[in-house]
Amino acid sequence: MSTAYGVAAVVLVVLASALIGGFGIRLSRTTSDFYVASRTVSPLWNASAIGGEYLSAASFLGVAGLILVHGADMLWLPVGWTGGYLVLLVLVSAPLRRSGAYTLPDFAEARLESMLVRRTAGVLVVLIGWLYLMPQFQSAGLVLRAITGAPEGVGGLLVAAVVAVNVLSGGMRSITFVQAFQYWLKLTALAVPLVFLLLAWRADGTPGPGAGAATWALPLAGGREYGLYSTYSLILATFLGTMGLPHVLVRFYTNPDGRAARRTTLAVLALLGAFYLMPAVYGTLGRIYLPGLRGGDMVVLTLPARLVGGVAGDLLTALVTAGAFAAFLSTSSGLTVSVAGVIGQDILRGGVRSFQAAAVVAVVVPLGLASLTRPLPVADVVGLAFAVAASSFCPLLVLGIWWRRLTSAGATAGLLTGGGLACGAVLLTLVGGPHTGLAGALLAQPAAWSVPVAFVVMIVVSLLTPGRIPPGVARIMVRLHTPETLDLDRGDWRPRSS
Amino acid sequence: MATRHDDASVYERIEADDRFRELRRRFRSWVFPMTAAFLAWYLLYVALSGWARDLMAVKVLGNVNVALVLGLLQFVSTFLIAWAYSRYAARRLDPLAGEIRAEAEHEAERERA
Repeated sequence: MSTAYGVAAVVLVVLASALIGGFGIRLSRTTSDFYVASRTVSPLWNASAIGGEYLSAASFLGVAGLILVHGADMLWLPVGWTGGYLVLLVLVSAPLRRSGAYTLPDFAEARLESMLVRRTAGVLVVLIGWLYLMPQFQSAGLVLRAITGAPEGVGGLLVAAVVAVNVLSGGMRSITFVQAFQYWLKLTALAVPLVFLLLAWRADGTPGPGAGAATWALPLAGGREYGLYSTYSLILATFLGTMGLPHVLVRFYTNPDGRAARRTTLAVLALLGAFYLMPAVYGTLGRIYLPGLRGGDMVVLTLPARLVGGVAGDLLTALVTAGAFAAFLSTSSGLTVSVAGVIGQDILRGGVRSFQAAAVVAVVVPLGLASLTRPLPVADVVGLAFAVAASSFCPLLVLGIWWRRLTSAGATAGLLTGGGLACGAVLLTLVGGPHTGLAGALLAQPAAWSVPVAFVVMIVVSLLTPGRIPPGVARIMVRLHTPETLDLDRGDWRPRSS
Repeated sequence: MATRHDDASVYERIEADDRFRELRRRFRSWVFPMTAAFLAWYLLYVALSGWARDLMAVKVLGNVNVALVLGLLQFVSTFLIAWAYSRYAARRLDPLAGEIRAEAEHEAERERA
């Protein structure tokens, strides 16, 4: 593998991101610019940006790797990641937009009129963000090491630095353009090599995936222990967790109105569906040509050189490397903006300066975590972040929007129980894992038990504390469910400094 | 801009409006059954994988079996449902919402005058 091409690819992506980000600098001046790009982004731009932001290292590298190792079971990851958007679209996106809240903690406070709920939600947003950022940095380290032989920490450091500079200089507005660009880069970086790979595969006489193929191509046929439980749990985590991912929700505010938000979601589903077909094919080709690849995360990066070879192979590898870095940069940028938003508003004093200080904190902590924990398959770690989001914010949003009798005590108890249980399972898996046996499966895929527990706790505690129903519940419920375009005062849930 | 007090009264009037109730009803009557239906469709796939192995293993084309085809259909159905929702919202929800809005704005205008 040629080092020069790979390095050139990484440098180009970094420069392009910085330059496109730079366009936003003179455009973003107010706090509102930093947070939601002043709601002026068109649906296709927005959809590309959402796609660019959402397709992380887990989608770009992880899915193909898991399909290579575990077979068709793992198709559930991309299906769930796409389906989560559907749940978000029909159940929560419209009422949440109407609430006027910018972030999940804003919503929690507006709905329950309690600073305690707000702070709990804030802590969870930061934890989920860090859990999602950590594997991005780790994957960056692995890819850079594979390409240049650099020590593992360097890749993560590079990504963290670029993201911090980008976020510090432009906020959300510039990030919208950077991320739209990165979606198309990622799509190209998988599609072009795939054409060559398939041609090479045909020239090779289209070999099948060898021994054990029938089992491998059949879901639940022995890929993983407790496959049925794990699959159900995965579906629950991905479907219900998407709505609780901080960097996903805030994007819906950058649409000018509800109709645009729906058109954006449609475009996102098409863009994601088109993208996710490719990792599956990579995984299958990997099964044929690289059956012994350990871990699997590097399959997308290794295949071009293995199948095509020569200068063409080097160039294709460089293209895939560029796509991978686009994935690390875009997802990390979106998460950093969200985490920094919460830290800036809730822990520091709010305003542009706090946001900038918070952005530094937001990347430094996961960078530290990335160097401390042993790398698990990237898609598995991201799955854990989904599980935490599903166990905490899904009950808060669903009950908060649709159930009048939710109380601040119930919401806090549910967030702490669900989020705490899921985080505990995550910690045990990250520190000593992956564990084996039933306990291992329960810890690696906690959503199937932690989500119902969170719902039950939230409902039961709310019923036990009827006196704590917020006094303004009637008003906020009308606000959540009045027609989207109604131009009334929807409350003052804006970043405090604006 | 209207004060908080004025707003509350506008909200109350809107909530009492029959058309607003109809709007909420239309929203729920589409969204809740559809959510249940598509969740069931996804879970059906898992159930088939667990208990209808022979069916899922049937080869359709080369190494492509029924399981893979159904898996791909999951993507397609996700998109179709979202498209259907978008159509429904544009046809059945937006016009009514626009009507209510126009009236509320007109009323607010009159109060100000």
